[in-house]
Order: sequence, then C-alpha cells, then structure tokens
Amino acid sequence: MTKTASVVIIGGGISGCAIAYNLAKKGVKDVVVVERSYLTSGATGRCGAGIRTQWGTERNCKLAKFSVDFFENANEILGYKRDIEFKQGGYLIVAATEKEVEQFKKNVELQNSLGIPSKYLSPQEAKEIVPHLDETKILGATFCELDGHLNPFHTTEAFAQAAERLGVEIMTFTEVVGIDVEGDKIKGVHTTKGYISTPIVVNAAGGYCRQIGDMVNVDIPTYSERHQILVTEPVEPMQEPMVMGFSLNIYTQQVPHGSFLIGRGDPTEPKDLRITSSWQFMEKMAKTACDLLPALGKLAVVRQWAGLYNMTADAQPIYGPVKEVEGFYLAVGFSGHGFMLGPATGQIMAEIILGEPTTIDVSDLDKDRFARGELVLEPSVV
Amino acid sequence: MIEKTGVPTKEDIEEITPPKEIREKQAVAVIECYKEIPCNPCYTACKFGAIKEFEDINDRPEIIYEKCVACGQCVIKCPGLAIFIIDETYSETEATVQIPYEYLPLPKEGDYVTALDRAGRPVCRAKVVKVRKGKHPNMTSTVTMAVPKEHSMTVRSLNLEDYFADNTIICRCEGITLGEIRQLISEGYTTIDEIKRISRAGMGPCQGRTCRHLIMQEIRNATGQNMEDMLMPTFRQPTKPVKLGLFVGGEGDD
Repeated sequence: MTKTASVVIIGGGISGCAIAYNLAKKGVKDVVVVERSYLTSGATGRCGAGIRTQWGTERNCKLAKFSVDFFENANEILGYKRDIEFKQGGYLIVAATEKEVEQFKKNVELQNSLGIPSKYLSPQEAKEIVPHLDETKILGATFCELDGHLNPFHTTEAFAQAAERLGVEIMTFTEVVGIDVEGDKIKGVHTTKGYISTPIVVNAAGGYCRQIGDMVNVDIPTYSERHQILVTEPVEPMQEPMVMGFSLNIYTQQVPHGSFLIGRGDPTEPKDLRITSSWQFMEKMAKTACDLLPALGKLAVVRQWAGLYNMTADAQPIYGPVKEVEGFYLAVGFSGHGFMLGPATGQIMAEIILGEPTTIDVSDLDKDRFARGELVLEPSVV
Repeated sequence: MIEKTGVPTKEDIEEITPPKEIREKQAVAVIECYKEIPCNPCYTACKFGAIKEFEDINDRPEIIYEKCVACGQCVIKCPGLAIFIIDETYSETEATVQIPYEYLPLPKEGDYVTALDRAGRPVCRAKVVKVRKGKHPNMTSTVTMAVPKEHSMTVRSLNLEDYFADNTIICRCEGITLGEIRQLISEGYTTIDEIKRISRAGMGPCQGRTCRHLIMQEIRNATGQNMEDMLMPTFRQPTKPVKLGLFVGGEGDD
C-alpha cells in the first residue's frame, strides 16, 4: 500500500500530535503521524507532566508561558470532550545551596520582566504554602501560581483528536523502518504498513530520534537517558503545588486523582535506551522525599517506571530544518521538558515548516549550534 | 477426559455440532450425549422421526437434522439434560440457545442473565427471550437465551446474576465500570494500554490483576482479537504497595 502525504511526522507523543494539529489548522492537507506503538507510549506517557514558567533563560520562560496560556483554554480550543486535567497549583522550587539562592533571585527577576508572576520566598513562607515541608532543609524558594500539572494522556489525545477532525491521519502501531532521500531531498518513508511518499519528514521521535536521524545519515547531537519516577496510592488533597529541588534532586506533585508522583534524575545514569526500573532509584528517591517532605513516608508506593529524557548539551530543544537533507525537520532534545513545551512546539514547528515568522524566535536553537559552540545553558533543570 | 471432568473436549463437541449449512438454515436440537448408556426417551419423545430408532438401548442417539422442527420435546424428556436447541437464524448477530433448567426460581422473560459454558464459566451477557415452564412442578422447564451468534455452541447454562451489566465494576481500585470500558472500546481504544491511560483502569494498587483479563475479554468480544495476541502492559515493582518510609528504614507499620 503506497500513499502520498505532504508531511510525515514521526512520533505520536505530545510534540508529534501538537505539530500535526497546528499544520492542519493552518490548512495543510495530507498530514500523517506515524507512531510505532500507541499514542503517548514513549516519554509523553511516562513523564511527570508538570508545567512551569519558572525558567532561567528568557526563551524557556517564553516557550513555557505560551504553553501555559494555551493549556488554560486547551479543552475549549481543541474541542476535547474529556478533560486534560490542568491543575494550576503552582510550583514551589526550593533552594538548598547558596548558589541556588543567588540563581533563583536572578531567575525571578528575569521571569517578572517577562510577565511571569513568580516570587522569592523565605523557608517559612514556603512552609505556609506546603505545610508538610521540612523548612530546615532549604534556604529559600520561589513560587509561581501559573505553574501546574496536566494529564499527559488526555492532553495528547486532545491534540490528536482535534488533528484528526482537521483531516490528519494518525497511524498507530506503525513503525518507520527507513527513509528515502534522493539528491539530498526527502522522498518518502518506509513503514511496517507500507510506503508513504512525502517531501517533508518531521522527527519528533523523542528518545529514539537519533535512530531516525541515522536513517537519513544525519547525526543528531542528543543522547537519551533513563529517568525514573514512582506513584503512590491516592490520598486526600494535602499538597497544592509541585515541589521541586535541583540540588536536592526531586520533583513531586499530588495529582488531582490524589496520588503523588515523585521523580529524580541520576547523574550516573548511562546514556542508552533502557527504561527498566531499579531498586537503587526507589531507595534514593525515598530518602530524598522523606527528608524534605516527611509526611510522604506514610504513603504506599503503588509502582515505579521510567522513561527517556532526550538530552542536549544546553538542556534546550533543537527546533527546525537541517542543512544536510532538505525536508528533514527536528523537534527533539527536549531534555525532559518536551511535554510542557508541547503547545509551543506545535505552533513554532508548523510556522517553521510553512516558512512563516515564528511566534517566539528559535532560530538559534538549530542543530548546528553545538558544533558552533553557541550554547545558552539552562541552569534550572532536574 | 469427560469421565474425570464432566466437561466434553473440543473433539467431543465437534462430533455433535450440527453442520454449518443446517445451522444457517434452521433451528435444531443439539444432542450432547457423549457416553453409551441404556437410555432412549429422546427417541420416544420425538414425534417427527428426527431421532433414529435405537438398534441397541445403549446406542448413542443419532439425529436427522432435516426432520427436526426444534419443538423441544426431547429437551424436556432427556433425563440427562443433555439436549439443547440452538437457532442461529434468530437475528443478524444473535442466536438463541434453549436449555433445560431445573432450578428455582426461574428467570423471567426479558431478564438479562450471565450465560455460562459447559464448565460453568461466564461467557457473555444473555437476554432471556422465552421461559417454558414444566407442566407439573416436578417437570423440566426450559429457558431460551439470546446470545452473540458465535457463542451458540458454547453457552449451555446460565447464572441469574447479570455479571456483564454496564454498571458492573471491573476495576475495583479505580471504580471503573464495564460500561465505561465498552464506551472506550467503541471509541477505538482497543488496547489495554490505551484503555488504562485514558480511564485509569489497572493503575491502582492491584495493578490490574482483576480487571486486565476482563478488559481483554471485552476487547476480544468487541473486535475479535485473540487474547493471546494482545499487547500486555508491564507489571511494575513493587508488586504490592509498600510505604515509602520503609525504603529508608522507618515509618512502616505493616
């Protein structure tokens, strides 16, 4: 079975579905999303699904603010019949080192200048927001009420269904096995369900984006690494905001359903595609969580799992075309923030593909910035 | 095998299954008499000569489908409750199965019940379309149920409880009903993983130990997929809920 598409998007996570929706909304016909398993089966369905506007670089602040504004009305904009469960309980980001205190104060200044109403708090003020916080473990905190959490499955479904209503074809359980390039131009995509002739391929394959890059001999300067997370039994509401610490290495959020999601990064994690669960994570995570938020020790862990961060050297995404192959676009390297940036990714990628001016300037987030050594390092990452 | 379990094997059933051409054309009696025993009331009950005369009282009955009018006399006369009437011409999608029924109370026409297979396992939801009460209190009654056509040779008993009603909770941890699962399947969520992520069924403390199999059955019923071919979500550690504090050596009380 051969078919023809104007754009083939590889990856049925938040990025792929949001890009497809935005292209279709701009009138592009014959957009196809190819997903090797079911929608959200990769990092989107495995992530903590928080969204914060409290970033350390101007652009990340703008991308996140754009996404928050979208999420606030996403059920209506996308015409979703269920609920994406956007809960804006804020993010309380705790500082545990003098260096963090200094950085956070700078961050708040930057965020305020961009219209993000974050504020710097003393440990005591932080405890007023999260009463079960052990305030002796922190030196200060920042808080922004715009931040929050969504249900990643419903959010992706909302984009996917809106895209389908606009004519996008979403092929699940379909794996890309090869990409045809002729004279440096994209010609088509070979899948397990047939060939799709297309001049444009968007690589939104998350943790597996380098494998897609290899199919067209484009080396993508990202690496994937496992990040683990756990979920507890549901309990009565006791924590409004996400509590996050960079040096303490924790993020934890009570979702509307009542469960706590608790995750951390591991600097010793190898760079590969494993997504198994480890006992070591559980021990370290329990220690961090119980130190900072002792009341969590009483909650029963229901299960743990893992997903892939697709990391870049500056913890910012790669957006846009590549020089080597005409028609090959990247929306990769989100470094653990791809879900929350989804709405911005969809909007900006559609604009780039159609040659329109972009809502937020991302021209320097191209793949070759790493080779040029022009990096803007994001300091605030778990 | 049947001597040990009381349940006929696949081969046993194949042997007594009326040919497809007959089933497509008419309602017929299915005689599930698997052993040679000295018994012939089915032959004497049939006024239409559809059951061949026995040469030996121990013979197993032989039916001439073309002569069977599905009157059901043999069903109520068989002391072994071994004869059923199936009618695959009942509707486009459904067949009826008439079974001998010797329990009280009898179901009522219009009731929904749970259809069971020969081993007593729930098969599907069934609507009672006819109840024929025995002439005397101690005579056999029959109950006719409408079931999906593919179950006409599977359903052989019933339970008055309507297990497969829409309001039956199948994910006890998250309180998800069968009706909600059916709705999702009808919207195109036809894998356990998708249903889990949209509805939370299977995300609770038991991790789907109860609901997973039931959801798979519903997917099979709705789509015809083989349960063996279905993609299975991963069971995650810890296998039972454990207090977070236990991992740091305290706070646990169980």
